[in-house]
Amino acid sequence: MTAVGTPLPRREDARMLAGRGVFLADLAGPGTLHAAFLRSTRPHALIHGVETAAAAELPGVTAVLTAADLGAATVPLLTRPDERFVEAAAFAMRDPRLPCLATGRVRYVGEPIALVLAESRHVAEDALELIEVAYTDLEPVLDPALALGDDAPVLHPHLEDNLAARIACAFGDVAAGHAAAAVTVEETYRMGRHGGVPLECRGVMARPDRRTGRLEVWTSSQIPHQVRTAICAATGWPEDRVRVAVPDVGGGFGTKANVYGEEIAVAIAAERTGREVVWVEDRAEHLVAAAHGRDQVHRARLSVDAEGRILAWEDEFLVDVGAGSLWVAGIVANTAIHLAGPYRIPAFHVRGRAAFTNKTLVAQYRGAGRPEACFALERSLDHAARRLGLSPAKIRRRNLLTGDDLPYPVPLPYRDGVPISYDGADFAACLEDCLRLVPEAEVRRLRAEHPELAIGVGVACYVEATGRGPYESGRVGLTTSGDFAVATGAAAAGQGHETTLAQVAADALGVDVCRVRACGGDTDAVPYGVGTFASRSAVLAGSAVHEAAGRLRARARALAARLLDVPAEKLETEPDGFVLAGTGTRVSWRDLAAELAPGGRLELEPALDEPALFRPPTVTWTMGAHVAVAGVDPETGLVRVLRYGVAHEGGVEINPMIVDGQIKGGVAQGIGGALLEEYTYSDTGQPTSGTFADYLLPGTCEVPAVAVRHRHADTDRNPLNVRGVGESGTIAAYPALAQAVDDALGAGGPGVTATPITPSRVLALAEDVPARDAEAAA
Amino acid sequence: MSDVRVALRVNGRAVEATVPARLGLADFLRDRLGLTGTHLGCEHGVCGACTVLLDGIAVRACLMFAAQAEGGDLWTIEGLHADGRIADLQEAMARHHGLQCGFCTPGFLVTAAELLAEGGRPSEQEVREALSGNVCRCTGYQGIVSAVLETARHRADRGDGPRDGEGAGRSLPAG
Ligand code: FES
Ligand code: FES
Repeated sequence: MTAVGTPLPRREDARMLAGRGVFLADLAGPGTLHAAFLRSTRPHALIHGVETAAAAELPGVTAVLTAADLGAATVPLLTRPDERFVEAAAFAMRDPRLPCLATGRVRYVGEPIALVLAESRHVAEDALELIEVAYTDLEPVLDPALALGDDAPVLHPHLEDNLAARIACAFGDVAAGHAAAAVTVEETYRMGRHGGVPLECRGVMARPDRRTGRLEVWTSSQIPHQVRTAICAATGWPEDRVRVAVPDVGGGFGTKANVYGEEIAVAIAAERTGREVVWVEDRAEHLVAAAHGRDQVHRARLSVDAEGRILAWEDEFLVDVGAGSLWVAGIVANTAIHLAGPYRIPAFHVRGRAAFTNKTLVAQYRGAGRPEACFALERSLDHAARRLGLSPAKIRRRNLLTGDDLPYPVPLPYRDGVPISYDGADFAACLEDCLRLVPEAEVRRLRAEHPELAIGVGVACYVEATGRGPYESGRVGLTTSGDFAVATGAAAAGQGHETTLAQVAADALGVDVCRVRACGGDTDAVPYGVGTFASRSAVLAGSAVHEAAGRLRARARALAARLLDVPAEKLETEPDGFVLAGTGTRVSWRDLAAELAPGGRLELEPALDEPALFRPPTVTWTMGAHVAVAGVDPETGLVRVLRYGVAHEGGVEINPMIVDGQIKGGVAQGIGGALLEEYTYSDTGQPTSGTFADYLLPGTCEVPAVAVRHRHADTDRNPLNVRGVGESGTIAAYPALAQAVDDALGAGGPGVTATPITPSRVLALAEDVPARDAEAAA
Repeated sequence: MSDVRVALRVNGRAVEATVPARLGLADFLRDRLGLTGTHLGCEHGVCGACTVLLDGIAVRACLMFAAQAEGGDLWTIEGLHADGRIADLQEAMARHHGLQCGFCTPGFLVTAAELLAEGGRPSEQEVREALSGNVCRCTGYQGIVSAVLETARHRADRGDGPRDGEGAGRSLPAG
């Protein structure tokens, strides 16, 4: 009986389907103070004063807090790469020391300045209107390239310029590669600013526990342990005084794998007032104040020989991180590393920079640098293929790593400092599987069915580092009734951890999965943790749970042997517990629980409750290929996605239904980013995508059914033989759809170079292309 | 600011309350009646997370004042769940993996309940169009669409016609 590998129905579903999920906004009760934030209306300005007296006097208002009340707390950076990587990649980064509430200056529209606490959200919002902020406007810095110029205003005065981070890495002889090329293509690619936009906005509730003197914080977050670390770093409170836990979280996608000033401010507000305080973000706030993602420009140069084989690959990229990013190291390093792609590349030179601008903060968004890198490389390959008269599939076949190449070392260290080695099986075979998902006959049929549309096909490949460290922790315990409780540092936001981690634990314990209950995301349940992001939870949290369950089973066996007074080796495990080999003598898990209880023979033994920490040797790589069929309406420029397929090379699927769901959901977000979604700003720095009427999300009619083909490849980098999959559906969607549009329009040259591929961009591109009909008539 | 009195039926029971005139229907359901299954995803009528049935018609609770529901027969996800009329749809949603984080789920179930109550055998395109006012950020929709299609098919196979007071309500005057 194994639970791993079965599409077990999800534990989470019953309560969600009944409307009984417990989300952050559902926690507040009578007596809870409601918080509302006053936010900057200016992109860049000095603040001379914040006049709060009138607001504080409004009936129903308890307090108004500004930066001074918070002791000028700042939000600490969340990641720094390993020293070996820093050295090898000439990596440098700067800490913008982001304040929780603005101190003396604002750097983007939406930045929190003050916090009102009142008996209701309505009253708190009324009070916001009574606060006067005296601003002196500064010149807004909106273009990341200009931000790095000598005369650009500096956003963070403690830094000498607007450089947030830089990186440079290389291998092979790039100049020689370019010199020997049959074709060199050079182009600039842009990926627009967009983000996770979870359907549930952010939210935080904090409550001082007057009995224990501790502070309890609930937050709609993917990383409760890092939120605790940040609250304590900002306030100086000891870590054991603060508990951070997550309720049900309505999607995260990286937006909630960030620590926000609002989380720290609400914690401090609860401490100050001695009251329970809740802040529930609304959508208007979310679109300007929750972290954005992407927003990169790549200047790319690819050289290939006459057969299309890559000779040299060069890319210089620039990331607009807005007023700052706690994840700048991750984003910049991910982008640089993933530019190496799933191909044989003999010479590689990448330089990247990140710049501060007067836009909203940036965090990781599903893929975090991988989609941007993939877009530059895949678009360059398509461009080169066109120049050589090769099909997109053919140029990829000539470069993809095969079973003969793999495992394949890339002469660069990963962010953890370990030399990169792709531990895949056969990337070229994965492409072939992908192409089979949409047979040519199907495309012909679609063309006949939709004479009103120009129809094209695109294909794109990616490889992604998954399951990154540094570690994750897990814990498995035998409950007093003889069942099992599992906890980890990985908080779920829809990934189904209550189900998958129970499956992992059940197998390691050898028990039926219905006896295991898993929950995550509480710093009181496991003291250390990293969180859920970067396709890491199945690998890291799964492995930690596996180790903890294995330890629990070994200790239980020893205790059972003691009860029977036999050597432990004589005991065999069975679903209910242990049996003495060749006899009917048993000690069940329920017996053990009873013997461990007061009055039992094991009452003096420590409980069966085992923690474990899993630290992977390095990342494990998931490769995949996407195929997209798009129909372009030549009148309107609208792009319809008609068919979509993803083949990926992953590891063991803990729950195949959930893996499938991760890929399909990832594709939907990729389609959104490729075709619809963009955070836009006016040329004075005002956000112009402040509602869902302007920031467009893909709906039921924009996302087609997605065919998924899973190929298994073993990895020895974790005990479960699993690979991460959370980002696989998103990464290659952008270039696959771009090529589908190029193909539909018969575009020559570089074709689509920017996302989102909006109707106006499509129509502009179509104008450059001789009409299909004319071509056909010729 | 003036208070108003509202009387309506919520999930089959009579409810009377005095509420501020500006109190939104979603806030009324969530904060006053504790019916937190009605979610708020955008508060301006785009995402569908707040969808409830009012006199058989799917409406957006974020766009209405509580006072506008006066005299109505209102059903939220909690009531639809408790009375068992969408048990088949809920089961199909789980089987087709039509939910991940679950935040959009009540809104989809309520919208689909309206569609299913009309009876018949909607095509995939019809189902997609009927659900096009609801946003799901997690699933890519296929599981939701499959669950609704399958439920409609099973109901039609069993010979379930339109149900009184639901789909039929489309032709009744609202309120
Ligand atoms: S909350 Fe009502 S439609 Fe989004
Ligand atoms: S399941 Fe998360 S928004 Fe639909």
